[in-house]
Amino acid sequence: MALTPVLIIIGIVSFLFFYSYPSIFYNGSNFLTSITWYTGLQGNVVQSHGFSVQSGASFGILVFLVGTLLTSGLALLIALPASFFISISVEFYLPSRIKSILISFIELFAGIPSVVYGFWGVLFLEPILYNYIEPWMSASLGSIPVLGLVFGGQVTSGYGIIISAIILSIMIIPIITSVMTNSLDKAPKEVRESIYSMGATKWEVGRYLLSSFHKSSTWGGAMLGLGRALGETMAVWMVAGGLQGALPSSLYGTINTMAAWIASQLDSAYMDSSGMTISALAELSLILMGVSLIASVIGRRIAGRGALRGYQND
Amino acid sequence: MTDTGTIEIKWNSQSWRDAKDKIVMVMGYLVLGTMFLVLGLILEYVTSGALSHISWQVLTTSDTFYQGGGIYQAIVGTWMLVGVGLLLSVPPGIIGSLYIVGIAPSTRLTSVLRVFTDVLTSVPSIVIGLFGYFALVTYLGWNFSLMAGGFALSVMMLPYILRVSELSMKSIPREQVQSAYALGADDIQVAGRIYIPQALAGIMSGILLAISIAAGETAQLLYTAEWSTGLPTGLFNSPVGYLSYVVYQGENYGTYAARNLAMVAAFILIVMVLVLVFLSKIMDRLIPAISRFLNEPEKEKVAKK
Repeated sequence: MALTPVLIIIGIVSFLFFYSYPSIFYNGSNFLTSITWYTGLQGNVVQSHGFSVQSGASFGILVFLVGTLLTSGLALLIALPASFFISISVEFYLPSRIKSILISFIELFAGIPSVVYGFWGVLFLEPILYNYIEPWMSASLGSIPVLGLVFGGQVTSGYGIIISAIILSIMIIPIITSVMTNSLDKAPKEVRESIYSMGATKWEVGRYLLSSFHKSSTWGGAMLGLGRALGETMAVWMVAGGLQGALPSSLYGTINTMAAWIASQLDSAYMDSSGMTISALAELSLILMGVSLIASVIGRRIAGRGALRGYQND
Repeated sequence: MTDTGTIEIKWNSQSWRDAKDKIVMVMGYLVLGTMFLVLGLILEYVTSGALSHISWQVLTTSDTFYQGGGIYQAIVGTWMLVGVGLLLSVPPGIIGSLYIVGIAPSTRLTSVLRVFTDVLTSVPSIVIGLFGYFALVTYLGWNFSLMAGGFALSVMMLPYILRVSELSMKSIPREQVQSAYALGADDIQVAGRIYIPQALAGIMSGILLAISIAAGETAQLLYTAEWSTGLPTGLFNSPVGYLSYVVYQGENYGTYAARNLAMVAAFILIVMVLVLVFLSKIMDRLIPAISRFLNEPEKEKVAKK
């Protein structure tokens, strides 16, 4: 019974591989480079390469791959400095009496179900972004020459890249902060005090500890956060806007991620009597699992196994 | 420790360094304040929305496809799913950690087991859901059911329970374990009299946290438990309703009735999570005291043998 985790992993990989086998052969490398996801004509099953498939079907996941990497990357870009500042101010500037209270408050964020984040994002955050923040960003930052390339563009809705990145960053800040405060706690007192005795300010001590002395935990924490963001399903599904068949045109565009696409497509995949759509979803989930596993396993390797007392993917 | 970097202090710019220190302090407070604001906004939004719609009727009647009705079946369904998840994940979790800590702390198999546990923690939940759909719903023919949903949840809870109980078993003094073996206790006695009672606080608080996370999960359940407007009729072949799906439909379904139910469901979920987290913190403090009290006679019994 101790081997259950091993058996489950073997089970997951072999089932997904078994189901994705037709898709791997039918789609080939097209799967990673094409932006078209078309399940083919309904009820029109033909044979192709020895596999039955609906005629005209073509499966490419480039849109979702780009969406996943873009939203998670942006989320990390927000969350990493934010966690950096939070952990330094909790550790150095705020009285140590309230430190544990603050840390448990930040950990509460990890306890809020991701579907609640999505719900709040749609009903509360989206109107604010659409009506106030994004038009302002587009008008002011978009007219500056170089920044305009990133921030320019038409605001058509509040759904999409920005809101996904914000919600993801709220979800991963507790993870990264927890690793960072842990590593600050672990720093030998002598190191800290000898830097202080040289006349360094609190900020210099904190920056040195996080960016040099405990560099590995900082990056490990970031990778763990990234792994969580890559696999996040419900919240992003609800706020991403469901882009399909095209790459996002600007920062304000809608987007789609691999996890959200799997969650949203299984219903329509039942309709494909040839089973190729299900197979393509299985291949997509193998890739998603690979990408997020690589990030998390590297993160755990760098940060050390005890860095995190268990946060879950959703 | 390899390269620890260097720290450079430019002595000639004291006032700028002090200013920078203050700027960072203000930035830190700002970011922290923003996080509290966000937490406050989420709690306020859900609570105020829920309190104006929560009623005895909503909590005790089942759903009628968002034409009113309540979320009774979703509340019960959530606990049923979590219960099945616990039944499936607690025994392998505790036995696995006993194996890792007690029987084979440093074999190759143990390190493989550790790696796989970490890997299992990082499998995206929708992938677990899809696996559940392939393996349990179609291949084993369980259909959308309590068992399939509970299994999918247990896949997520298992590595968590395993790791938390491993951590708390590791903190037991080795001398105590070794002297028990020296007195002739076998593996099962050592597990039942030393490891499990002493690690109980950690295990229980780990289980409570695992419940709090599992209760809010959605993606694993979409294609394993699906959704139902009534209570499941058995372990297999009967779909289950659960709270997080109600929250999801509040946005997806688009009617005010659905949205109001979603507010109530989100509120219940958040309260549940807060209570469980709070309980687990208490458990961490309380159980060591109790188990120390209970363990005294136990140790004497072992000694008398």
